[in-house]
Amino acid sequence: MATQQEHSISRRLTWMNMLVSGVALLLACTAFIAFDMITFRQAMVRNLSAQAQIVGSNSVSALLFNDPQSAENTLLALKPAHNILYAQVYLPDGQPFASYSRDPGRHAPVLPPIPPGQTETHWIEDNQIALVRSILLDGKPIGAVYIRSDLQELYGRFLRYAAIAAVVLSACMLAALLISSVFRKAVADPIVDLSKLARIVSQDKNYSVRATPIRSFAELAILIDAFNEMLAQIQQSERALRIARDEMEQRVLERTAELEAAKKEVEEFSHSVVLAKEQVERGSKFKDQFLSTMSHELRTPLNAVLGFSDLLADERYGPLNDRQQRYVAHIHTGGKHLLRLISDILDLSKIEAGRMELTREDVTVTSSFAEVISALYPLAEKKSQALLQHVAPNLHLYADALRFKQILMNLAGNAIKFTPEGGRIELAARQVDDQVRVEVRDNGAGIPLDQQQRIFEAFVRLAQTGTASEGTGLGLAITARLVELHGGKLGIESQSGEGSCFYFSLPLAAIIPVEAPQPSVSVSRARKAPRILIIEDNAATGQLIQSQLTSSGYETLRCDKPERAMEIAAEQQPDAITLDLIMQPVHGLEVLLELKNDPRTSKIPVIVVTVVDQPGVGTALGADEYLIKPVDKATLLGAVERCLLSRGGAAPARAILVVEDDVSTLEVIVELLEAYGYAVSTATDGEQARASVAQFLPELVILDLVLPKLSGFELLAEWRSNPRTADLSVFVLTNKDLTKEEEKYIHAHAESLFRKQHAWREPLIKQLERVATALSWEKT
Amino acid sequence: MLSANETFGSRPSVQRQVCPRSQCSFLQFLTIVIALTFFTATGLLAQQAKPNEYQVKATYLYNFGRFVKWPDAAGPAKGDSFPVCVIGQDPFGAILDSTLGGEALDGKPVVLRRISKPHDAGECRILFISSTEEKRLKEILTALDESGVLTVSDMPGFTRRGGMIQFLLEGDRVRFEINLASAESAKLVLSSELLKVAASVKRSGRSGD
Repeated sequence: MATQQEHSISRRLTWMNMLVSGVALLLACTAFIAFDMITFRQAMVRNLSAQAQIVGSNSVSALLFNDPQSAENTLLALKPAHNILYAQVYLPDGQPFASYSRDPGRHAPVLPPIPPGQTETHWIEDNQIALVRSILLDGKPIGAVYIRSDLQELYGRFLRYAAIAAVVLSACMLAALLISSVFRKAVADPIVDLSKLARIVSQDKNYSVRATPIRSFAELAILIDAFNEMLAQIQQSERALRIARDEMEQRVLERTAELEAAKKEVEEFSHSVVLAKEQVERGSKFKDQFLSTMSHELRTPLNAVLGFSDLLADERYGPLNDRQQRYVAHIHTGGKHLLRLISDILDLSKIEAGRMELTREDVTVTSSFAEVISALYPLAEKKSQALLQHVAPNLHLYADALRFKQILMNLAGNAIKFTPEGGRIELAARQVDDQVRVEVRDNGAGIPLDQQQRIFEAFVRLAQTGTASEGTGLGLAITARLVELHGGKLGIESQSGEGSCFYFSLPLAAIIPVEAPQPSVSVSRARKAPRILIIEDNAATGQLIQSQLTSSGYETLRCDKPERAMEIAAEQQPDAITLDLIMQPVHGLEVLLELKNDPRTSKIPVIVVTVVDQPGVGTALGADEYLIKPVDKATLLGAVERCLLSRGGAAPARAILVVEDDVSTLEVIVELLEAYGYAVSTATDGEQARASVAQFLPELVILDLVLPKLSGFELLAEWRSNPRTADLSVFVLTNKDLTKEEEKYIHAHAESLFRKQHAWREPLIKQLERVATALSWEKT
Repeated sequence: MLSANETFGSRPSVQRQVCPRSQCSFLQFLTIVIALTFFTATGLLAQQAKPNEYQVKATYLYNFGRFVKWPDAAGPAKGDSFPVCVIGQDPFGAILDSTLGGEALDGKPVVLRRISKPHDAGECRILFISSTEEKRLKEILTALDESGVLTVSDMPGFTRRGGMIQFLLEGDRVRFEINLASAESAKLVLSSELLKVAASVKRSGRSGD
């Protein structure tokens, strides 16, 4: 590549030189040869013409005296001229007279005409020259000569010339080559040297080299001088640049070192930050773990304390004297307080950890207020306080319904607690702009201004109240935080002795389309209510009985046409039937008979409800109960229940399985259930529970969620996915803090949920009675 | 007709290449016709497609005049005309008159004389001696001795007997033989051209006498 470039200029010079001389020579040779050819041809023609003339004049006598032999002799003189192909003498009439041919076998052509006024003409055909000349005598033609010559001589001459030209051309090229090599030395070499130098400069950045000055060509000399001058300048500026660069480099190095140091510092710092963050995260995780452990570990023994103290207070195991009863009450109260305290602490820490999740929805303020008031009413009544509410109708909040109620409960509960007997507590809600302002006002002692700010802090209780109330000191703190979580702020207006008013504002509910509740979630797994078929042709009476039963939780079917009663009963298989006797067109007794005689319906208990006072007839015909109208609700329900019990009794009794890992809690539950006459079996971990259910299907399961080996959730999921246990009634009893999702899951898959941190015994027993009555009364 | 001749006559080859096929034959024909006409109109021998013996001999007689140089001192050269004479019975008849009429030789007009006396022959350049004069030949030749008269005859043995040119017949073709010695003795110079075309040339003088 480099050599190619190096040689390119000298090579081009050489080429140019040779090209120019070659072309010039070629043109010259061509011109010369062409000229010579033309000249030579003319000479040939002249020569031919002379020969023709000689032949002609020598043939005159032959022609005149008609002696072809003589003419042929004359023609024979042409023989030494090898170029003559043939010659012929013609008579004036164009007849051949004598002829000569170099090669035998030639035929004489017809005499070509000679243009008038001319004695001679010639032309070239088939690479031959033909010439015709008249033979004149005294200016009159007496015949003609025709001579034809080939052009071999011309061609031979041309070839010779071409060869000579080629030789000369080659020689010239050689000479040009030699001359151009001399030129190259003089012109190209300095340029090539210069370009080499330029490459060295551009590639190696070496500015110290210099081109050798020459004097032979002025322009080249100037170029080289200028180049050297330029190099000198570049060298100078480059030196300056290098110095500047060195300085810059030094500075960059220093700066880099500084940056490195700073970076190291930052890295160390960030590392320590990461460590700190990890520590904090660990701490936070530890705290969470601590809280959840505490909630479980503290509540479990407390539940035992409360449960057993309850059992003692019931005097089920012998009577207690007054002192004992008082002590048991103290134990119970203390335990409940502790339980409440723990719950509050957990709530508060959850809020502060930002883990309190709100499930906001459209909350109807009126209904929330009603619930709170009905819950607190007994307390207020106990203290002879007036509990009033002023709620604007159709107020809707966008809030977590449960937490909203908790806020109201706390505020109203506090108000009741800290207001003396006979006081007045008002709950109010009204719309202010696009918000709902809620106020809880009392006419109690009021709160001094200096304490009003501290009041929302945790564990702050007002000094002057003094009374050993049940408060934990966390209620207001939690309430304030909950309000804040909802985007509001809990405020207080109070003056000592004038009562106080707690207020807050929450956003109005926008018009939110209420999502259609998902059936799987909303459908309660509560056991199906017993179904009663009412056979009564009098609509009013039928409606009365129906309303009485429906209001007590039964499902009812009405049959207005006694003639279809049998059919309906067989088809619907109700749990019990009420039957009127005086009916048209079929009498009740007939229906009764029919029912009892049909195997499909014979087992269904029948309660005769009639004005006919003939119980004997009814029972004789198979009626299970005989009621005489007018029947009051209690009597009707009693009869229905008895019937249902007797019917249920037909099934073998099954136990209630209690799954609980804490032995004392388990004992409390077992004691409780047995006290109410239920058969009980137990399991203390998930696997036991699974095995027990697999072996013998219980009537019902009371399930703790936090269990060793297999959690309550897993058990529940397993049972629900198995068709055999899909309908098994499960009550969840737990002290676990449930997330919204967990709660939803339990509502969807278990019949009831009870929390140990709240009062659970009574609701549990009540629920049990509804679901599992069949067992208990059988046993007792 | 002339212009066509000029354009196409000189280069038949070009003519063949250039002219369209239909015209070519016509032009060729035309050219040939023109050439023939040209020669016929100007040529001496052209119209004698089949010339009879004496017509050829008459022409030869005239043509001999071209190849002979007469001495300046000789009698015949002194006159203002170029006399061609016939002695004895004339075998040519009108042919000779028509052949020589209006012609010129040696820059002088040709004059035809028919003579009977040998003495009259001294003034002639060319003397045709008829075969009827065979008996007087010796007398005629002697009379002409060295007077510079070209003697021509078709009698047999003419050159042997001292005559200069004697016509011969080779089949139809008219030829002649020359007695060069006789001519030289009469101080006549015969062109080599003439000798070239002669059937034979006697150079030994009067060998027959």
